[in-house]
Order: sequence, then C-alpha cells, then structure tokens
Amino acid sequence: MELVIDRLTKQYRNRIAVDRVSVKMQQGVYGLLGANGAGKTTLMRMLCGILRPTGGTVAFDGMDVGEEAYRAVLGYLPQDFGYYPEFNATDFLLYLAALKGIPRAQAKKKAAELLELVSLQESRRKKIKTFSGGMKQRLGIAQALLNDPQLLILDEPTAGLDPKERVRFRNLIGRLGKDRVVLLSTHIVSDIEHIADQILMMKAGRLIYQGGWDEEMGDLEAFYLSQFAEEEGEMKDAES
Amino acid sequence: MRNHNLGTLYCYEMKKIMKRKLVWATMFVCLVGVIVAVCSGLMGNYYVDGEFRDTHYHMYQVDRQYMEALSGRVVDQQLLTQMEEAYAMIPPGAERYTLTEEYQTYARPYSEIFNLVRTWTGMKMEEVKAWEADEQALYRMRQENLEKEWQDAMLTEKEKAFWREKEAQIDKPVTYLYYDGLGRCAVHFVPTIGVLTLLFVAVSLSGIFAEEHTRRTDQLILTGAKGKSTAYYAKILAGISFAALGTLVMETLTVILALSLYGAGGSEAAFQLAYAGYSYPLTVGQACLIEYGIILVTAVTGGVFVMVLSEVMHNSLATLAVCSGWIIAGMMIHIPEQSRMLCQIWNWQPSNFPAVQNIFDERMIPLFGRCLVSWQIVPVLYLFFALLAVAWGIRVYRRYQVSGR
Repeated sequence: MELVIDRLTKQYRNRIAVDRVSVKMQQGVYGLLGANGAGKTTLMRMLCGILRPTGGTVAFDGMDVGEEAYRAVLGYLPQDFGYYPEFNATDFLLYLAALKGIPRAQAKKKAAELLELVSLQESRRKKIKTFSGGMKQRLGIAQALLNDPQLLILDEPTAGLDPKERVRFRNLIGRLGKDRVVLLSTHIVSDIEHIADQILMMKAGRLIYQGGWDEEMGDLEAFYLSQFAEEEGEMKDAES
Repeated sequence: MRNHNLGTLYCYEMKKIMKRKLVWATMFVCLVGVIVAVCSGLMGNYYVDGEFRDTHYHMYQVDRQYMEALSGRVVDQQLLTQMEEAYAMIPPGAERYTLTEEYQTYARPYSEIFNLVRTWTGMKMEEVKAWEADEQALYRMRQENLEKEWQDAMLTEKEKAFWREKEAQIDKPVTYLYYDGLGRCAVHFVPTIGVLTLLFVAVSLSGIFAEEHTRRTDQLILTGAKGKSTAYYAKILAGISFAALGTLVMETLTVILALSLYGAGGSEAAFQLAYAGYSYPLTVGQACLIEYGIILVTAVTGGVFVMVLSEVMHNSLATLAVCSGWIIAGMMIHIPEQSRMLCQIWNWQPSNFPAVQNIFDERMIPLFGRCLVSWQIVPVLYLFFALLAVAWGIRVYRRYQVSGR
C-alpha cells in the first residue's frame, strides 16, 4: 500500500500553488500543516483527481489518479463540501455509495453502520438542511468512509466539530490509519501531533518539512509558528 | 464487487429534479397555459357595434352542430351546389353578411365547406361567393393553388414532382368528417405546447449540472468511482426522462381537454381538411401523432442541449437566460422564404419547429438519392445532434477542475 507523489506541480498563470512536491506514503496517518494559501487544498485536490496538475504524477499501488480503480479506493472529505438540502442523511449516504459503485444492499448496511459511528443514527431520516454545522461535518466524514477507502484524504476534517467530537474523531482517524493511508490537513497542530505518524509541512507550495516528530525534537506548534513568523518576515521584507 | 449503479444513480437524479420547487411551479404555470390555450376559443362574448350578440361558447355549439351534420358527406358536386345555393340566398351588398338572417338560416350550415373551398383554392371571400360550384374545378384549382405555393416556396422540380405524386394519392372527392377536436390539436395548439415544453425543460434542467458546481457537491461526485462517467449518464437519462414525462403530461392534458370540449371524432378525416396546403396523404389522427411525437423529440433534444449547456456554463441562471433568449428569438425573428436554406434551418430548429407549417413543410432534404420530408428527417437530425451534444458534454464534464474556492 503506497501513495507515490512525484514532482507534483500546479501553476496558475504567474503563481505556483504547489511546487514539485514529492512524497511516498505508506499506511499510517500523515498530518499536513500549513498556513492559508500554502497549497494544502490544491495538493489534496490533485491527489483526488479533481484538479489537473501542471506537472508530476500521483499513483496509488500503481494506479494512476485518473483511473476509476484509484477513485474506488479513495475516500475524500473536502474542506467545503456541499450537500442536498432536501435529502435526508440516509439518502445522502446511499447516493454517494452508489457513486462509489457500492451495491445497494451493501450500501444500506454500511450507511447504517457509519451513521451510528458518527452519532447520527437518530437523525438519519431528517433533512440535511435541518442539521447543524457539526452534524453536517460528521455526515461528511461518514461519506468519506463509505467504501472502506485505502486512501483517505481529509481536508480540515475537524472544522465545525465541538471539542468532544474533535477528540472522538481524532481517535477514529488514529484507528483508521492502522490499515490505510490517511492524509489530513488542519490548522490545529494539536489535532495532528497526537495521531500523525508523519508530519508534512507546506509553505508557499513547497514541502518544508517531512518526517516523524517526537517530543525530543521539541514542540511541534512552536516549530510551526516559527515557520509562520519567517513567512510574515519575508512578506514584510517584500512589502518594504 | 462494484457495479455501475446506473439505475440507483438515475433514481437519485430524478429525486433531485423532483425536489426542486421551481420545477413544480413551472409545471403549474405551463399547465395553466395549456388550459388557457385550449379553452380560450370558447371564452368571452361576441359584440357587434358594442352590443352583445352571443357568447363564443354558444356560437361554437351552433357551428359544431352544423359541422357534425355535414360529417360523412363527400365534398362533391351535390354538396358544393348546396353550398352555392345557400350562399346565394345572402342579399347582395350586405355590409356584414354574417349578420344577415339569410346567412344564419341558410348559409351558416355550409360555412365549413365554404371555408374549405376558400383555403383549397386561394380564392377571396367574394370570389367564393360568386363561384359557380364545380367539383372538377375545385380539385383542379386546389392543384393550381398548390403549384403556386410550391413556386413561392422555391421548391425544386424534384420536390414538386414528389408532392404531385403525393397529392395524386389523396382519395378524391374527399369525404368531410367532423374533426374539430383533433384538428385543433393538430393545427392550433402545437406551437403553444412546443414553446411551453421547451420553457419547462429549460427551467427544470438548467440546474442539473450547474447546481452541483454552485452547491459544491461536484467534488464528492467527481471523486466517486462512478462519478466521472456513470453519474453523467444517469443525469442525462434522468433529464431526458423528466423532459419526456413533462411533455407527455402537457400533451395528454391538451388532447383530453380538446377532445372533451371540441369532440373526439374525426381521426380518419383527411388532413387536408384541417391543413389545406399539404399534400401528403395523412389522416388528422396520423398528423396529430406525428406532431405530438415531434414535440416529444424536440423536448428531449432541447433537454439534452440545456443540460450540456448548464455543464459548460456552470451556472443555471445563465443557462436559463440563453435558452429563454433562444426561444424568444425563435418567436420574433422571421427569415424570408427567399433565403431558402437559412429560412429552412431557422424554421426547423427546436424552438420553431413545433408548428404545423414547419412540421408539414413542403421543403425537403435530399439524402442518399431520396427526398425526405421535414417530419421524417428533422427528428432524426435532432437525435443525432443530441448524441453529439452528449458526447461533447462528457468531455467537458470529465475535464472539469475544482479550483479557486
């Protein structure tokens, strides 16, 4: 089980959003840290095949990102995912299960399991438009797990969750990372330092740090903030 | 094991369309439009110099009785002579001859035959009144009138020969049958239903792809294993079925209303009784089936174009604006017959084609050594272009990039 990202690049006219990122990921949880505009979401979209790279390749166990087989093992929670307000939670999951190619009988069983996992079983018949932000986010997490993905990409998965839910969800991700590749991006360093096996830090489209992190190396948050401070300093220099 | 799930995805796409309130509001407006179009001929009163004379409904009932009395009679010398004698009773020089007692008593029962002679021969009102009834002359003058129309329409010699042959296949003398319900369906209501169905399709389907982008559900769809192909076809199939379903509802309402208000008989009547200037040997019933079938194909084709346009533009309002503009342009822009090819293309495009004069256009298309009439070739062309649009649409759909949010 290996996700291979090779010199992945995305360039918009005069701005490079992702600059020759190369990483190999085996099973485990990978935490992607970076400030706003660092290129995290762009990188994740390219890994999901919904944004075409300017250069480079992405493959999972030899399957190219453009293949249906790649999407069949992919689970994705976008940062700003949409929903169908008139659908109820069960319908929403069954529809997305159909999109993932899961047979209906299996999808029903899986949807029920996941609704229980994200504590939405009692709201399964309610229209999504009546859901709170946290409930919608939990539904988003459930849909990403429908096909038991081997590659799980979560863009800001804890946004909108209350502290209790965040801890619960962190534990869930930790469990999921045992037998699959999980890549999650967040601003919240504490979300990552507890569960991530590997840290990826992005700045201005480039990977500036890649590897494990333990207490002996110091405080991850302090390191992260120091990178921010450098960036702010560079911006001030550029302005002056 | 993974499967294509086309059926399941199709059901969910139908559900998405059906859950839109705008769709039902538009359907309601269209159905009201159908009811008004069918019933408007019976509404209101007839006034002469500001004085109430009769209700349109009563006038229609009287005319209908006379038409039904003529049903089954052959348009031959005997009937034409009776019509001539009845019209001769009208005092000469009467300013408004329809208001005279003689017209109401003697001529009105034959007014349907009088109008038939007028439309078949191209004679003016006064000329028909002065005409000496002659069965042979009637059919000869019809032929002459058709020849003149064919000349004006710039038909080629091959086309004229085709229509002469078709005209010769019509059984003559023609037997008059009461056909008003189906006749109105075939001649008067077609453009109204055509425009209403296109409007309905444009409103209902303009969001089918575009709203996935504005709602940001596109990222969930496109990352699904079946999201880049099966989901597209499921949406197209759902849109097509919904367009067909909506059209069938409107057509069924039109036919049921028309037949219950204006009479259900006359499906075997010669189409030339309802639409004089056409020479294909069709019955009124056959003409209706062709026209309503074409409205269905037009709605489905229009639906495909609307859906593909909504994927290209990523905006349902912009799609709706383009489609509405196209429908309005179809109604407002007239291309003269002298520019034959341009006029033909314009009249045969989906927002104009559903009209009796376009579906039963005497201009043809030469193909593989044969001349094909419009109602044979245009639906095939529509389906061909719809398939092309579907093929183009999936290219656009698959290449969509989620960025800049």
